[in-house]
Amino acid sequence: MTLDREPTVIARTVVRLVVPLILVTAIALLFQGHNLPGGGFIAGVLTVTAFALIYIIFGLDYLETELLDRNPGVRYETESGIVREYGLVFALGLAVAAGSGIAAMALGFPFLTQGVVFLKGLPIYHELEVASALAFDLGVYAVVVGALLTILAEVGAE
Amino acid sequence: MLPFLGAALAPLAYRVLGEQTAYFAALVAAACLALVASLFGTHGTVVVPWIPSYGVSLAFYVDGLALLIGTLASGVGVLVFTYSGGYMHGEPGQAKYYATLLAFMGSMLGVAFAADLIALFVFWELTSVSSFLLIGHYQDADASQYAARKSMLITVAGGLFMLVGFLLLHVVATSVPGVESAFRLAGEGSIIANAEPMVNALRAQGLFVPVLLLVGIGAATKSAQVPFHIWLPNAMEAPTPVSAFLHSATMVKAGVYLVGRFRPLLLTDEWTLVFGVLGLATMTVTAILAVAASDIKELLAYSTASHLGLIVAGYGMGKYLGAETGAFHILNHALFKAALFLVAGIVAHEAGTRAIDELGGLAEDLPITAGITVVAALGMAGLPPFNGFYSKEFLFHAVYETAAYAVAHGGSPLWWLLPAVAVFGSVFTFLYSIRFLMLFFGEKPDALGEVHAPPLAMTIPAAVLGVLALVVGLGGVTATFGVHLEPLEQFVGSVMESSLAHGGEGEHHAFEYYLPTKVTPWLIMSAVTIGVGAVAYPFYDRIRDAIRAVRGVDPLRPNWYYDGVTEGLDRSSAIDVIQTGNLRTYATALSLALAGLALGAYAAAGVTIPAITYAGLEPALVVVLFVAVVGAVAVAAAPSHISGVLTLSILGFMVAIFYILGSAPDLALTQLVIETLVLVIFLLVLDKLPAFYGTPDRLRAARDALVAGAVGLTVAVTVLLSTAQTPDDVIAQYFVANGGVPAEHGPIFYDAGGGGNIVNVILVDFRAFDTLGEISVVAMAALSVITLIAMRERGEIQ
Repeated sequence: MTLDREPTVIARTVVRLVVPLILVTAIALLFQGHNLPGGGFIAGVLTVTAFALIYIIFGLDYLETELLDRNPGVRYETESGIVREYGLVFALGLAVAAGSGIAAMALGFPFLTQGVVFLKGLPIYHELEVASALAFDLGVYAVVVGALLTILAEVGAE
Repeated sequence: MLPFLGAALAPLAYRVLGEQTAYFAALVAAACLALVASLFGTHGTVVVPWIPSYGVSLAFYVDGLALLIGTLASGVGVLVFTYSGGYMHGEPGQAKYYATLLAFMGSMLGVAFAADLIALFVFWELTSVSSFLLIGHYQDADASQYAARKSMLITVAGGLFMLVGFLLLHVVATSVPGVESAFRLAGEGSIIANAEPMVNALRAQGLFVPVLLLVGIGAATKSAQVPFHIWLPNAMEAPTPVSAFLHSATMVKAGVYLVGRFRPLLLTDEWTLVFGVLGLATMTVTAILAVAASDIKELLAYSTASHLGLIVAGYGMGKYLGAETGAFHILNHALFKAALFLVAGIVAHEAGTRAIDELGGLAEDLPITAGITVVAALGMAGLPPFNGFYSKEFLFHAVYETAAYAVAHGGSPLWWLLPAVAVFGSVFTFLYSIRFLMLFFGEKPDALGEVHAPPLAMTIPAAVLGVLALVVGLGGVTATFGVHLEPLEQFVGSVMESSLAHGGEGEHHAFEYYLPTKVTPWLIMSAVTIGVGAVAYPFYDRIRDAIRAVRGVDPLRPNWYYDGVTEGLDRSSAIDVIQTGNLRTYATALSLALAGLALGAYAAAGVTIPAITYAGLEPALVVVLFVAVVGAVAVAAAPSHISGVLTLSILGFMVAIFYILGSAPDLALTQLVIETLVLVIFLLVLDKLPAFYGTPDRLRAARDALVAGAVGLTVAVTVLLSTAQTPDDVIAQYFVANGGVPAEHGPIFYDAGGGGNIVNVILVDFRAFDTLGEISVVAMAALSVITLIAMRERGEIQ
């Protein structure tokens, strides 16, 4: 799914600058989701957008060669290569989401009961609200990122 | 349940242990066996609520019958896993194999102990599914696929019949006063504990015979009774340990178990007729087919069906010894047949062939195996003093008494057919048993290469089963001289009691068995069987050829019907019309169906479209909506794909702005990001497509316009209707009240959401279960993409 011609320097530079910004925004959205607009799903989709930019501008193999520092696996091979890692991501996400529900069961509450803990006397924050729903949201985030990236990589490889 | 945990851990264990996983699995099975053994002598019910709103629970009931099946499942399980360690050496897919086999064992234990109709059904179907996976273990072989599909179709379809029967029972049970829990099968306040009022209520509603037949079909498909026996011989495509485990000792016993379990409830004259005839017909037909078999596993498969027929026939007999026959033969058959399957596996593994004609004189090379075979095969033949003799003697006794009783009470002389058929079928049983035994004796064919000695892991399990069979057989000999095998007799007695009808049947006495000491009609029946069998054996080949000739006639073969139906469905022209493979067709069908159903429902409910009010329509909204409409028109008029997609995204972004104006920032944010992503993906795909397809012809354009119009109309009407009806907003108020941080709260609380973003709190807290379902769907979509693309690359799509 790389472009037929080499992308311009402008595009490359902009993407280099923008992708970290998008990722940070996505993570911010994930963590503030409890009290402000945001949440696991939207953060996940935003993260995927960042990756999609990388794919388009730098090509499919860029992630593997530059970031993971290894040779990209054979295309179309689902048993290995980065698709396998994406698969791990969404499998882990499902496990985290379901596990957060089972944890509630282990404590004697119905499946997926969420609780909130207020931590006091912390430096800087003074008081921090920690919701157990965040764990569930992390699961959602991971599933969305893993699944969409899998689709993107598989379809993009066509 | 332990085995399911074991199944989940099996792939992990495989990574650590490699081929030693067999022994890990055997350990799990041994733990189950110990658990089951610890239940011996106990009696009762354990209830865990499952779906309380429907009164469905995960109830487990312990009695003799359940313990017998449970012991078989876990005990034979231990042996089979050990055996697999030798047999599966170097075979592919071992992690999957052990995981499925353990899961199967768990479901089988579930079937044995389940005391709730729904739970029983679920475990029942689980055994079908795991059996499907195990039969199809060699995924690439056509024969495996065919066999797996066939067994799945037949047993699952039978299970559905059974489910209907269960539901009918449940409906009737709700109106019977003594029944406290209408789904409970056994135990206090259950259906079986109130058998008499249940039968009366069933009869009053005319449902007795339907329930009997439905449950009977379930049992018959699972236990491979005629004419559903056809899946069992094909199932021999599975690895041999699987055949030994599923298709001799456990899964096929599930149907028999069902018959034994329902016997106290449904035992009547109809019962005797249905199951007596079914059992004896199966016993005879499949025994004849076994003689015609050319492969040792095929022979054993048909003989399994035949012996299951014997058990069913035993349970069918009401007046005398029926329950004894069933209970005792379940045990005996499991012992000798599992042993024989393991022997067959050893033979196939070491001699390299399973064809009967190519084998012979194996005793020289496999002396221990030959010894096991002598015990097991003679037991199968029903020769005294081996174990099969006693239960066969019970059957002869039971059918004789039943027939005599029926005729004495004015029944037609046709009842005498029962004992006659029983003897006739047993002659063939004798024939094929001896044929199997003769694999080990006589001349060794020259074509047979060198036969190696099997590994210990394979010999020991078979030997254990053989010794047990021998002990049961010798118990009868010692009992003749007054020394009874007490634990065994007590155990079988308790199994028998589970199947005894309330109010007693005939003479009720403790279970015991021994060699006959005086001449009786049923002893003569046994003698005739053995005598005729011995006389006929020299003509075995001729008999076999004759049977094969008859078997060749198509309309006599159930397989012919099965293949005809499945192939007919496969090739029918309906598929070409419905499955065009054209995305446009599917989209049209889906959209029209959706619109039609929704509009039809509105019309049926007689709703009126409310008047449209324009209150609260701000100028900004009007502008946004106007741009959106312009965008929509532009999409339809777009000259190329690229411009179409770009104008479509105008529409999308306008919707996002609309959300912002409607003070829904979360929605707007999501819409924006999704819109961007979709646009990117669209552009990527479009890069590969032709820029434009050309002008569609008028007919097609008109059809598309119709579909689009119908969908648009449906959506518009739905929006109008759903926004006009403003309920009292109970749930929204609840969310608002409980979504935020309560005014007074401790450091930890869990009864409120505690979040400022109510949308997100709903998503991850109040409605977390829905979200869990949604992300599962997302993950599933990704998996499908992987599978589709990977499969296409491997060229598996035809």
